Amino acid sequence: MFRKILIANRGEIAVRILRACRTLGVDAVVAYSEADRDSLAVRLSDEAICIGPADAKRSYLSASAVISAAVVTGCDAIHPGYGFLSEDENFADVVRAHEMTFIGPPPQVLERFASKEATRRLLGGYGLPTIPGSTGMIRDDLHGIEEAERIGYPVLIKPSAGGGGKGMRMVRSQRELEAAMRVCRSEARAAFGDDSLYLEKWLEDTRHVEIQVAVDRFGHGVHLGERDCSVQRRHQKILEEGPTPALSAAARADLADRAIRAVVAAGYENVGTLEFLIDGAGNAYFIEINCRIQVEHPVTEMLTGIDMVETQLRIAAGEPLGFSQADVEFRGHAIELRINAEDADHDFRPSAGLVERYLAPGGPGVRMDSHLFAGYEVPPFYDSLLGKLIVWGRDREAAIERARAALDELVIEGLVTNVAFHRALLRNETFLAGRMTTNLLDRVGSAAFVAAAERR
Amino acid sequence: MGSRERRDHDRAPAERLADHREIGRLADELIPALIARLGASGLGEVEVREGDWKVRLRRPADAAPGFGRRLTDRGGRPAGNPARAMPGEPGATTDGQDPYRAAATSPAVGYYQPRSDVRPGSRVRHGDPIATIDVLGIPQEVVSPTDGIVGASMVEPGDAVEYGQPLLWVELLSGSPVLGDGLLGDGPPADRPLGAGLLGGRPLGEA
Repeated sequence: MFRKILIANRGEIAVRILRACRTLGVDAVVAYSEADRDSLAVRLSDEAICIGPADAKRSYLSASAVISAAVVTGCDAIHPGYGFLSEDENFADVVRAHEMTFIGPPPQVLERFASKEATRRLLGGYGLPTIPGSTGMIRDDLHGIEEAERIGYPVLIKPSAGGGGKGMRMVRSQRELEAAMRVCRSEARAAFGDDSLYLEKWLEDTRHVEIQVAVDRFGHGVHLGERDCSVQRRHQKILEEGPTPALSAAARADLADRAIRAVVAAGYENVGTLEFLIDGAGNAYFIEINCRIQVEHPVTEMLTGIDMVETQLRIAAGEPLGFSQADVEFRGHAIELRINAEDADHDFRPSAGLVERYLAPGGPGVRMDSHLFAGYEVPPFYDSLLGKLIVWGRDREAAIERARAALDELVIEGLVTNVAFHRALLRNETFLAGRMTTNLLDRVGSAAFVAAAERR
Repeated sequence: MGSRERRDHDRAPAERLADHREIGRLADELIPALIARLGASGLGEVEVREGDWKVRLRRPADAAPGFGRRLTDRGGRPAGNPARAMPGEPGATTDGQDPYRAAATSPAVGYYQPRSDVRPGSRVRHGDPIATIDVLGIPQEVVSPTDGIVGASMVEPGDAVEYGQPLLWVELLSGSPVLGDGLLGDGPPADRPLGAGLLGGRPLGEA
């Protein structure tokens, strides 16, 4: 195990990693920006070091600041948390060059899974279903039309060089395709300097289901079940739960089994998450792999009793997993609510400021992962996550009941939060029926969604 | 502050006595100047090191005290009980600039290295490089925050320093008790002629 770990992150995840270090008896140093001087992680730490100004580019995103901090404090490993430098294979490489361990997959594994397109091909080759699409890039309009016929409309036109939904267009017919290809090409050329396009089958009303895996250096891997993250707003997850209400127990087990087989075969290492889209017929399509600890990891911890951060540390330290698939038991239902400093009544505008009062809920099956305390000033520079309220119940209904009760106990004063939105969500018929899709909130609008719940 | 007090009890009486004497000295000499400095700056916190000792002043954060220590507290010594102003007390927030000196702070996390051409007494201008921080083998310049005379160093060569850590004092030329208004008048300080005698016989440097 490591001797001393630099925690190169902030907010609730810095506190979470610090706690994992404490239970493992590993020393930890909290790296913080000037804006986080009074953060809970710094206050709870035995050692902390200021690495730069509030601007993340010069602090949490600065590889040299983070690594230099680890060097001067005598750390032998760096935990990047999520976001920031957590999936930067160049950073992982430089960490290794300084004879320290990046806590996550080794650099060569990160590199292998860096390109989404290549990862889909790689894991598709090991038996994961992927979204049907054109074979390679579209050569000309005629080739595009032929490929679209083969895939079946509607199809999504995607620029090869794009990312984050930029430059994509959905078309429902050949006529629309012909017109759109021209526009997409010139847009792609203007935006990315590369006008090559490809096609993908457009999946409507999909759910987001992800499989958690853990694979050690010796190729022993287990899956830790799935999480359903279909409650999203503009691709931001708001609530995650497990097991998914979208699939039968047999379908869930099958998907998880295929996922772990594929990543072990492809040489993955450490904890990871495979994201799938599930269409209305229950077909799963592999989208991408996340090579980090995820915000929603507590859902899995509540279901399995396995400490995900500890598992991540042990694997990075070269230890064997120490348990097999047969040892992993799933109990009950878990739900995580992301409590954000944002105003649901005003287009989820982020808020910052002084936390005047804070009271975390409690009771059986209730867990609050948060960096808040009364008197804490939420800085305006970073994401709006204030904490995660995680509940467990023997089944979905029991978990929802506990979530409602816990939300009623939660007190955060001084900031506008999305707690009211969560209350509405937990009374919404579509959610209660387990039929949320990733596009629902954006399609009906969050305000209408909340209003619909209130009418009940 | 519980853990600090426990540590205090664990040490030998003589050691504690020496520590407390040191705390008294620091409180008399350093803290008034630090309060002024903190007040003049927009910073939430000011920290000074002297030998094994460090004093940090933090603005009231409206939060319960008693949370953990930071990197630069290592060494296990009490950090001179930072003078916390009470919430609501204007105290160290708005009062004027330290009339005597300004601290050059670290631009990065790394190891402190003085420059061979800058030593106490060197005359420097605002923005002049006066030391370097070694960041993974790449030097980054520490620049002077003001026109003035390089004063005492708060860190030793080779010390690990964090971002924003005060490293060196730069004594202002005007209003200084050493240089005195009577000697220098009120004009722009950098334009004043300087004599070696003014700083107690030390050379004023090559700057």
